[in-house]
Amino acid sequence: MKTCLIVDDSRVVRKVARKIFEDLGFACSEAEDGDKAYIACMSDMPHVILLDWNMPVMNGIEFLRKLRASNGGDAPKVIFCTTENEITFIQEAMAAGADEYIMKPFDSHIVQGKLEQIEVL
Amino acid sequence: MDDLIQEFLAETNESLNALDLDIVKLEQNPNDKDLIGRIFRLVHTIKGTCGFLGLPRLEKLAHHAENVLGRYRDGSLSVTPQSVTLILESFDRIKMLVAGLEAAGAEPAGDDADLIVRLDEVYEGRAAAVAPPLVEPSTKPPAPVVEADEFGFVPVPMDTDFVPTAVMSAPAATPVVADAPASPSMAVATPAAPKAAAAPEEASKSLRVSVEVLENLMTMVSELVLTRNQLLQIMRQQTESAFTAPLQRLNHVVSELQEGVMQTRMQPISNAWGKLPRIVRDITVEVGKKINLEMRGAETELDRQVLDYIKDPLTHMVRNSADHGIELPADRKMLGKPEEGTILLNAFHEGGHIIIEISDDGKGLDTERIRAKAVEKGVISEEQARALTEQQVQQMIFAAGFSTAEKVTAISGRGVGMDVVRNNIEKIGGTIEMRSVLGRGTTFTIKIPLTLAIVSALIIEVAGERYAVPQLSVRELVRLSNGSEARLEDIHGTPIMRLRDSLLPLVSLRKILKLGDEETEPTRPRQVIVAQVGAYQFGIIVDRVFDTEEIVVKPVSPILRNLRIFSGNTILGDGSVIMILDPNGIANTVGDVSSMAKAQAEIDHIQDSSARKTPLLVFRAGPGAPRAVPLSLVSRLEEIAVGKIERSGQRRVVQYRGKLMPLIPFSETMDLKNAGVQSVLVFSERDRVMGLMVDEIVDIVEEHIDVQLTADNSFGLLGSAIIHGQAMDVIDVGHFLSIAQADWFGGPAGLAPGADNGKSVLLVDDSPFFRNMLAPMLSAAGYTVRAVNDALEALQLAKTDTHFDVIISDIEMPGMNGFDFARAVRAKDSKWLKVPLVALSSHATAKDLERGREAGFDDYIAKFDREGLLRAVNRIGQLHSEVA
Repeated sequence: MKTCLIVDDSRVVRKVARKIFEDLGFACSEAEDGDKAYIACMSDMPHVILLDWNMPVMNGIEFLRKLRASNGGDAPKVIFCTTENEITFIQEAMAAGADEYIMKPFDSHIVQGKLEQIEVL
Repeated sequence: MDDLIQEFLAETNESLNALDLDIVKLEQNPNDKDLIGRIFRLVHTIKGTCGFLGLPRLEKLAHHAENVLGRYRDGSLSVTPQSVTLILESFDRIKMLVAGLEAAGAEPAGDDADLIVRLDEVYEGRAAAVAPPLVEPSTKPPAPVVEADEFGFVPVPMDTDFVPTAVMSAPAATPVVADAPASPSMAVATPAAPKAAAAPEEASKSLRVSVEVLENLMTMVSELVLTRNQLLQIMRQQTESAFTAPLQRLNHVVSELQEGVMQTRMQPISNAWGKLPRIVRDITVEVGKKINLEMRGAETELDRQVLDYIKDPLTHMVRNSADHGIELPADRKMLGKPEEGTILLNAFHEGGHIIIEISDDGKGLDTERIRAKAVEKGVISEEQARALTEQQVQQMIFAAGFSTAEKVTAISGRGVGMDVVRNNIEKIGGTIEMRSVLGRGTTFTIKIPLTLAIVSALIIEVAGERYAVPQLSVRELVRLSNGSEARLEDIHGTPIMRLRDSLLPLVSLRKILKLGDEETEPTRPRQVIVAQVGAYQFGIIVDRVFDTEEIVVKPVSPILRNLRIFSGNTILGDGSVIMILDPNGIANTVGDVSSMAKAQAEIDHIQDSSARKTPLLVFRAGPGAPRAVPLSLVSRLEEIAVGKIERSGQRRVVQYRGKLMPLIPFSETMDLKNAGVQSVLVFSERDRVMGLMVDEIVDIVEEHIDVQLTADNSFGLLGSAIIHGQAMDVIDVGHFLSIAQADWFGGPAGLAPGADNGKSVLLVDDSPFFRNMLAPMLSAAGYTVRAVNDALEALQLAKTDTHFDVIISDIEMPGMNGFDFARAVRAKDSKWLKVPLVALSSHATAKDLERGREAGFDDYIAKFDREGLLRAVNRIGQLHSEVA
């Protein structure tokens, strides 16, 4: 089974995302900030990471840079979450190594489309 | 509500609480990047999450607020007091939306264009965000909020935490901060909190101590107190001892220590009030009222535990006052009142209690509406409603499920009523009273104990074991002995006690605790503790009563916690550990309170009938004088739309409560309506039901029935009685029931009998009315009934060796009365010596009952209590056949 790490500081968003990913056949784990996500990746690298950018402790961009620089950190497909007023950050995120971005709010259909684009599904 | 929404509410509320403080801090430290980042992120998260949940209004507002915060974050805009006010205002709105969502499960309707325009102006750097007058930063002091935080810390002696109170109107909120140091981190010198800011150097004088530490201290002090009590007890038995003086000193020190530690548990009542200004303010905004919340005596202290208990009831009551009590400004103006309504909270100490008054100058309670509502809800009959005094009517709002608000709003009327408030207050031994004047306002007065840790308790003994009963729930003590006024009696298997004019249900502590049967020592005088749980009184039978003692309540150990009859344990002066009984738990154990209430209802019923007057329903049907029927025989009065009456062959039926109910016209010649509604008296006999169609229900009267003349039974009349000075026909319900049943089941005329149980009953009653009423009912229950009209006739049957399983006899009969009859039946040579005897009495005074028992009756039943009679006959018949 494919694994997915959901990184977001909102319990509600994590819950929504988990439901979507589990329905798509992923085994999900969650992290509430970049730091915790990084620790989780180090012990068990997921196939896909759904990454929010605005989080306490370590934000999405910082996490992404750190992940990509780490050993084996280039393997996971990273989908970056953003809201409409952060267009500049999308470019920044893609440059930092994100595979795809997704706008909040997303639904199952959108997530599935994105996953197909990056050839995970 | 949706799971996700729940989660969102929890998450958002957490964030918002953190946010308020952060924003105020931001004003002081406009360049704190971390702070800005944190605030920005919280708003951002709210916005992001709203998208998933479909909360467009909240999302939009958060988005615009986020824009402004975004500019602070990248430093392109400097933080000004005006813009902070605007941001605070946005948060108020967000909170309102969240609160609305929480209450209704959906976003409140409306939009926030006003705020958004101003947020955008700031965002675009066009305006300095001047707040409208309503939300001008208040010059009044905010209500300090002191609360144990989520880690269980309680500030000692005090700490402050501010609800953002820019719009609060609480001028009289004496800030407890005045003489208490604020913690430095909170000491933000907003213009709204000058006193808090003025005292940072005092901060070192207070510490944060975990509640657990305090609780432990309290426990240790309790132990110390108990040990001291033990020592004192020993010392009392010794006249000369070297320990006397030091022990005296120890005594004083311990007392002071106890007081001191109790003090640490005390918190100002303002802790329970802290959120109220905000709640009132929210209501004013939501429904467009003007309300001034005045708080007096905010520094009045009470135990933390008590505080926790009253927080919710207080909030509920203030909400009620604001929502239902205070009128809209326009209405107030019309009534010549100031547009701004006032809700006054006042707390003060009074002899070991704290009194809290909640008054408003609103519209008061409309007793007429409460009456109407009570009748509509079937709580009381119209007749009863008329008889109630204003005061009694007002008390009805404390009844379960009662709300006089015509519409349920988002603010109050969410299914939590005053009954819950009262229960919560009574749970901690408090009382609540209410006074209300229509058009002038309502005042609630709550009286609660200062602490629950040390209570006054009555020490009692049962089967050699001692127990404590909290004094608060003890109304009085009654000693039961042969000579005493109060007596133990038995109604339908429930032991009861007649005390002055009322009957009290009794429970035997011995039985509840399974310490043996009450009957083991029948001769011994016993004591009854009259306990009160809520409005409900009952008696607890115990063996002995000692004195009252101040006891330290210790929680019940976990393995006993499922036993609800104990509320804790304590150590007495002699060192013995005893359990504290919980009267509430006892009432519940004894067969939930509802069945106790049922026993109460039966008692009330008996008391009613002992008044000798019988409520009669007077109605018109066909030509001639009105007719009457005993109200107790009528199950319900219904108005059935004529259109709903169906015909099935010659019969009329109507669908009634999921069944078909046959409808019988009172007389065949009666003109039935073709349209509109048909008045129907519904009679039910066990599971059968029928409707008697009548022209009009006239009244309910209370009369002593004396059926004068037995009419021809085939017309369904028992005879005539003088009711309100007018002769009226009293109808025979049995007749109509038999018509209905015969028609319905197509069987032979007469009552459709129940399965014959092979038992026979002798019914002795001089009144044809009762014979006609009871005989069909008993035969329907399967008994073979022999009805005779006097005692002598009955005794003749004894001579002929006729066997009966049960004998039911009236008490007042011409010739030989019931008592003499019973004595004759119980005579040594009587053939019926062992036949159970049930008295049927319209007199139920203690004397009558006692006489009945002495004469040999096994049970007594009030006339008209048909169900009770059946139960008694069944029970006694059963017992008897088991013995035989």
